[in-house]
Amino acid sequence: MSNAAPVLAAQGLVKRFFGNPVLKDVSIEIVPGRVHALLGENGAGKSTLVNLLSGVLSPDEGRLLVDGQPCARLTPALARRHGIAVVQQELSLAPHLSVVENVALGAVPTRRGLIDYRRLAVEVGRVLDRLGLDVALDQPVEELPLGRRQLVEIAKALYRQPRVLILDEPTSSLTAHEVQALFKVLAELKREGTALVYISHRMNEIMHLCDWVTVLKDGTRTADRTMDGIDPPALVRLMVGREPGDLFPPFRSTTRDEPALEARALTAPGVGGVDLVVRQGEVLGIGGLLGQGQEELLLALYGALDAQAERLATGGVDRPSRNPADAIGRGLAYVPADRKREAVLLPLSIGFNLTLPGLRRLARRGLRRFAREAEVARELTAKLNVRGGGPERAVQLLSGGNQQKVALARWLPLSPKVLLLNDPTRGVDVDTKREIYLRLKGMAAGGMAVILLSSDALELVHLCDRVLVFRDGRIAADLPHGQASEEAIVAASLGVARQEAA
Amino acid sequence: MSGLLRHRVTLGWLVVVALWVAAGLLKPGFAKIGHLRYLLELASITGIVAAGQTLVVIGGGIDLSVAAIITFAAIILPLLTFPFDPSGMGAVAMTLAITTAIGGLNGIGVVLLRVHPLILTLATATILQGALILIAGGSAISTVNPAVTFLGNGALFGLPMTIVTWLVIAAVTLFVLHGTVLGSWLFALGTNDRAARLAGVGAGQAILAVHAASGFCAGLAGLLLLGMNRQGYVGIGEPYLLGSIAAVVLGGTSILGGRGTYLGTIAGSILLVTITALITVVNASPGWRAILFGGLILGLLLISGRERSG
Repeated sequence: MSNAAPVLAAQGLVKRFFGNPVLKDVSIEIVPGRVHALLGENGAGKSTLVNLLSGVLSPDEGRLLVDGQPCARLTPALARRHGIAVVQQELSLAPHLSVVENVALGAVPTRRGLIDYRRLAVEVGRVLDRLGLDVALDQPVEELPLGRRQLVEIAKALYRQPRVLILDEPTSSLTAHEVQALFKVLAELKREGTALVYISHRMNEIMHLCDWVTVLKDGTRTADRTMDGIDPPALVRLMVGREPGDLFPPFRSTTRDEPALEARALTAPGVGGVDLVVRQGEVLGIGGLLGQGQEELLLALYGALDAQAERLATGGVDRPSRNPADAIGRGLAYVPADRKREAVLLPLSIGFNLTLPGLRRLARRGLRRFAREAEVARELTAKLNVRGGGPERAVQLLSGGNQQKVALARWLPLSPKVLLLNDPTRGVDVDTKREIYLRLKGMAAGGMAVILLSSDALELVHLCDRVLVFRDGRIAADLPHGQASEEAIVAASLGVARQEAA
Repeated sequence: MSGLLRHRVTLGWLVVVALWVAAGLLKPGFAKIGHLRYLLELASITGIVAAGQTLVVIGGGIDLSVAAIITFAAIILPLLTFPFDPSGMGAVAMTLAITTAIGGLNGIGVVLLRVHPLILTLATATILQGALILIAGGSAISTVNPAVTFLGNGALFGLPMTIVTWLVIAAVTLFVLHGTVLGSWLFALGTNDRAARLAGVGAGQAILAVHAASGFCAGLAGLLLLGMNRQGYVGIGEPYLLGSIAAVVLGGTSILGGRGTYLGTIAGSILLVTITALITVVNASPGWRAILFGGLILGLLLISGRERSG
């Protein structure tokens, strides 16, 4: 594609964590004016490689070259000075600071030692315009929906006018419209000669955007080639090392007659009067554009948001749950989307995390029974195939997909009647996705009602008995399986009549 | 992670041992059994206050009302002397019930009013101090309560009652932290409050319980102090606010919550008392001694109590 010399290159990188190699002899060349896809399952070593390239970690063996010059010790500060910018998958914004402060954090223009706010506003405004991000500059980031926050994160990287821009799952929370705007900017950057590294689990984005691809599998490089003449199944084969079966299990409804949860005229902050019934064994999908009240609905059902309802019956009680502990007592369970902030306790052990929700039931009169806890932790790690260490290791040492398995597995000992899933496969690799789908269908088959909020329309199409599409805090469409096609869901979420969309 | 924690606790104990050995060699009379026992008696007051403080801090909070509660207990008890209570046990029970209730009110304020414990317990302390001035009027109040005198000066199997009491409190605290659901909830809440609540942790109950426990411990410490001094006065509890928090942090417990153990706090309490004892031999004015004391605590914190970055 481009014959330019690499701006950033790595040769024979090896990195071990606690003696376990996570990268084995990996080389990569990042070239100006090229979009370089980095593919691999969670735990394949992508994040580690990005951390090495941006100076967050230093390699145990191998070397890094910037502009062809060996760089003995790359630090984050040095990487920034070389023009290497990373857009992290896990957002690294300061929630209380404003949009403009976050974008310019650490690179504020000054005049005589004071912040030059006028210049700041102009420069940040230019970057935001470029991304099509229409937000008030002085708005605190915490008030923005997740998708907007992700764009602010990208704006933060662009503001520094990087020579190398590494994007780790940048579109995971973006709407289709925002993705288009981002792609336009990336194409411009490419023309201007920026070297781009693009990490994503969305194959169509990779196919559309990238010129070159490096595939990692279990810490080794299984491919490093042009994207010309390669198709998605071939890429998936390189990632998993075997023929990809169907991502989704064949659809089979396990819905029973008995309702597991009924709500009438449910209102909560962001939710304006929702009626819904979920039956035992049913998988009910919740779709729509981001921030249309879907997450608030789950939180309201779970007692984590103040809710009012004419009727909210589950677990033999007809009233909104007072708090999560109350909701759990009624047979509800909730798996949050933001697993690091809301689900797992990162510095604590896998075993602690797995037993925490069911701790009171495992204990006898408030006294912990360690043998039973250990047994439960062992069973759960085996059952959900959690890879990455024994139950005494800290959860933060696990890959994202395995953390998500912990976030899900910890509810199993409680046998919930209604499982609330908030985008359970966000940023999760293909293999773990499939495991989660099978687990979810299995739980439904056992009689559990599953409410699945997903930003991935295909999940709603292939897994759900029924899909509720949300718009402005209300149900805009109730589509049974079969009628809930990708087009129908998107059309309903945009408020477009079906015929026009088709 | 747990290895590091154990390491920090071990570090605290090693500093204590090193200090005792050095002081024993340099200062004649330091290593005498009687003197060491006296140090432990003093440490037990800090240690008992710091037991409640450890629970609160690991749960992600802080209790700034302990000093005021200690004073409150030491002054209220002599006023609770009644002819139908010759042993004084009734007065002890009543005093502890009152201080536990004060702690419980702290907890209710934190849970229901959603005021940060830092500001809420500070307000409680100020209110208590005002009430004490109204009750005691600035004069010392002596007591003839036999139960309190026994607690402060008596012995059981040759061990001073203060140390016996401390051992009991230490055993209960360690058991609560590491052997009960409440203890696990505290670690979860201190690590990540939102994630813990979403996982069904009974945050309200746990916060209420630890603040009540802290009120109980401070009240008990106040009674022991009263027994040792035989009189209570406004300001008697003052040194134990910084003392209890310093003992917690010197013992390797994170002031941000979620990480730590009472084993470290025990070492921290002994360390504080030992430093105080060693400073008294320095020939300097009280002002300079206070500055030296503060400087030494800072120095020790650099060794064992620093928060890891990121």
